[in-house]
Amino acid sequence: MITPHRLSVKFYFEELSVDAESFIPVFHRWIREDVVPNELLLDVADYKHILDGPAILLVGHEADYVIDFTDGKPGLLYVRKRDLGADLSNALDTTLSQALNGVKLTESDVELQGKLKLRTDGATIVLLDRLNYPNAASNGDGVNTAASAEAQLSDSLAALFGADATVARVDNDAREPLTFELRAPSAPDVDTLLSQLGTGN
Amino acid sequence: MSNIGWKDVLTDDMPVDLAHEIDIFEGQMELMGQGKLDEKVFAETRLRRGVYGQRYDNGQRHDGFESRELDFDEADRIKGPDTLWHAPGMQRIKVPGGGLSPEQLDVLAQVADEYSDGILHITTRQDIQLHFVHIEDTPDMMRRLAAVGITTREACGNSVRNVTCCHLSGVCRTEVFDATPYSEAFAQFLLGHDDVQDFGRKFKPAFSGCESEACGLVMMHDIGYLAQVREVDGKLKRGFKVFVGGGLGTVPHQAKVLSEFTSEEEMLPLVQAVARVFARLGEKRNRNRARIKFLVAKLGIDEFRRLVEEERKTLPHDDRWTAYLDTLPQYEEKPAKPPTFLNGQVHSAEFNQWFETNVYSQRQEGYSVVTVNLPLGDLTSKQTWELADVARKYVGDNVRATVEQNIVLRWVSDSDLPSLYEELKAIGLGDSGAGTIVDITACPGTDTCKLGIASSRGLAGELRTRLTAKSASLPDAIKDLKIKISGCFNSCGQHHVSDIGFFGNSRRSGNFKMPHFQVVLGGRWRDNAGSYGLAVGAVPSKTVPEVVDIITNRYIDERAKGETFQDWIGRIGKKEARGMIQPFMQLPAFEQEPDYFSDWGDPRVFSLGDIGIGECAGEVVSLFSMEISPAESEAFEAQIALDENDPARADALAYSSMLKAARALVRTQFLDVGDSPDRIVEEFKSRFFDTELFFDQYAKGKFGQYLLDRHQNPNPNPDNDSAHRLIEEALLFIEATHACESKVGGNVLVEI
Ligand code: HEM
Ligand code: SF4
Repeated sequence: MITPHRLSVKFYFEELSVDAESFIPVFHRWIREDVVPNELLLDVADYKHILDGPAILLVGHEADYVIDFTDGKPGLLYVRKRDLGADLSNALDTTLSQALNGVKLTESDVELQGKLKLRTDGATIVLLDRLNYPNAASNGDGVNTAASAEAQLSDSLAALFGADATVARVDNDAREPLTFELRAPSAPDVDTLLSQLGTGN
Repeated sequence: MSNIGWKDVLTDDMPVDLAHEIDIFEGQMELMGQGKLDEKVFAETRLRRGVYGQRYDNGQRHDGFESRELDFDEADRIKGPDTLWHAPGMQRIKVPGGGLSPEQLDVLAQVADEYSDGILHITTRQDIQLHFVHIEDTPDMMRRLAAVGITTREACGNSVRNVTCCHLSGVCRTEVFDATPYSEAFAQFLLGHDDVQDFGRKFKPAFSGCESEACGLVMMHDIGYLAQVREVDGKLKRGFKVFVGGGLGTVPHQAKVLSEFTSEEEMLPLVQAVARVFARLGEKRNRNRARIKFLVAKLGIDEFRRLVEEERKTLPHDDRWTAYLDTLPQYEEKPAKPPTFLNGQVHSAEFNQWFETNVYSQRQEGYSVVTVNLPLGDLTSKQTWELADVARKYVGDNVRATVEQNIVLRWVSDSDLPSLYEELKAIGLGDSGAGTIVDITACPGTDTCKLGIASSRGLAGELRTRLTAKSASLPDAIKDLKIKISGCFNSCGQHHVSDIGFFGNSRRSGNFKMPHFQVVLGGRWRDNAGSYGLAVGAVPSKTVPEVVDIITNRYIDERAKGETFQDWIGRIGKKEARGMIQPFMQLPAFEQEPDYFSDWGDPRVFSLGDIGIGECAGEVVSLFSMEISPAESEAFEAQIALDENDPARADALAYSSMLKAARALVRTQFLDVGDSPDRIVEEFKSRFFDTELFFDQYAKGKFGQYLLDRHQNPNPNPDNDSAHRLIEEALLFIEATHACESKVGGNVLVEI
């Protein structure tokens, strides 16, 4: 299926004992030390004044890393904006592996280590492309892209997160982007996931 | 499916002229990519579509230790002088009078999450800005906005900027009449108008319904309109007191009265005459003196007025000057609900507090205006469509952005206030304190602005948090003070017209620079930004919260009964005022207070290394360059049409590109040529062809003949061959137009 304009994955915190502000110096250091392979990191944006929204952003050229509190659920949101790959499946691989790499960087960061933990047994996946992936029952021409995307995500994610992994479309407002919820009770840990994706170390 | 774009999907939803302009812009992007467009021309072109640069877009960023290269791909590709193509930029979206419908909010929210960082930012001139936008996304973004009636045209650049208007117009208790439909007619008339394309600098208009309140901020605008009613021949007539030459910036100017009363019939011709005088006589070379305020100051208001009056007499008649008057009787706002009253029920303390600061009782009984207090002017995409739904439910289309970076919902039926409050609170938009000391205004500053020196938003966020925490115990005397912050002396945060204002600068201590804010006290927000504050000295950024405490405490202690903050500052004088902040002006060494050497919300050791060249001034390029560029883009589009096997369209575009080029050339001598093809060709022929000015040394009149032929003998059934030929001819014609222009030179004085 066609590459979406943007694709995001949010992994949720299981534990978070630092406030949003603590991520500001961390993200600045990541930029300085150029810690993310294959991505150009640009700047840090501070939106912590917004209630239950994206609080701190590490803005990059290819992707943004967001400490996100939307709906009161803190998580690390990875938004892939450019160079997603040739199709949806590629885009998902790229996004997931970079997002998981972000999870790993966050958990093992010298300033954050031991103060937070992210879980891999669930995630929210968003296709930010209302042109090609409208959040509707069908595209109007009878084609149900959402259902096809769901099937594709299910296949790809079950292969990674375990056979009992399920992907369900979120019944959100039609103006919101097409959104899926991954549940993966027997998900492996980050390192295993990364090595399965071929990007582990 | 992959070949279908927004352009195809939205064809029927976009106004044809907007759609075409966006296509042209896309064509210009393409030409820029191929290195076929001058970088300054392209920069000004994109600025006039609101596509602005952003901090670090020269590819350099200081990381606290050293300046680093940002390694964008295609590093030699640029979108303006010293501005990398791939560096993210800012998109300014023009919102006349701040008026927004729920449908527009929905789309703004969607483009924000697909093309920016999912945050909408309300500016101090009722615009909306999105940040971190890639230039390649801008045409589709513009299309989606155009489909709901929003244009980004002339949001930046040296043109007529957003026309602002009081957010209370029409419901205000003190207004003379509702200025909204006038400001709308004004904005429509000037949008893309020929006479506003050749300014040396931006031109900001504002409308206000009354003299004493603040909302319109008329006195600080390039041109400002105050509603007035006069008796003329025994009849009451509507019109405006017109001000000109106000402005903030480094040297703030109060506007001067251009006319005590300009009738509604004369409103548009008068501004057209002003525009012509400004375009002709305004400074073009020195950008620092190019705003109309400098021209007015140089000539004196009497001479300026005389020139405008002379110019007015020479204007060719335009039906649009008065056509809008026929639409005025139909202008009305429809409340979504009938009027009701808040009964005597007991409400929560929280609601009462919000009611006190965020609710304004309208002139129309049973209705109120609710201010949604946005922290730092920001809201998320999600909040935006949630707010759109709240608006649909309670007020329909009656939503406006304000110059204090908030959003108002107008025509709320009073008994709905408690439930509306609960719904706003549920989406994180229920903050009270609108318009009070906690509701701080701040420009983008070092967060995204290339010119930012200190972090205006960081400071505003910090002050907001601290003042909100103690807001319950703040004495009434200071509750309503206004704090406004700019990241540098350019004053985008409007600090000159606040009680306590700040603008960013820097000082050296030892080998390090320390972020500072200049303290500006006693500006007047009311009376349409009635007077400007006093700069009393600069203090380290990190001491500002304490400085605010010292100043406000002293005011509480010393003020005479009923004495305003302005009067108090006036009474104690600059020396005393400086005395208050003196203790903070002793700078510690780095080892003593390392924290002072970084800014709010930014742990990097402070530096000025990231300041770039701002694009606020736009690029000064000739009117001809600006007008020939769309011609080139159209010729390019014609080639694409041919590639797509559409010879009829290719033929039409090639012809239109020649007309545009000819028009650009004619307008170097005769600004009023208009848009009719016959007239353009006639003028081109008599001025340039018959005089042989257009002739090439060798080819003679050949290239000019291409246009004359195509104009006289259009091809009813163009095929690929003929269209191809016409495109070739169009390209040669455009080249010849360039050559002619540089040979003859226009009489429009400009320089690149
Ligand atoms: C030399 C360059 C600049 C000058 C002299 C300048 C000056 C001003 C002034 C005086 C105002 C506010 C007063 C008014 O309403 O007239 C303003 C508004 C504003 N400026 Fe600037 N500015 C400059 C560059 C920039 C840049 C680079 C940015 C950020 C990218 C910026 C962002 C804003 C914003 C957000 C507003 C509110 C205006 C709107 O929405 O139209 N300014 N500018
Ligand atoms: S005041 Fe200065 S820092 Fe703030 S937006 Fe304007 S130019 Fe930028």
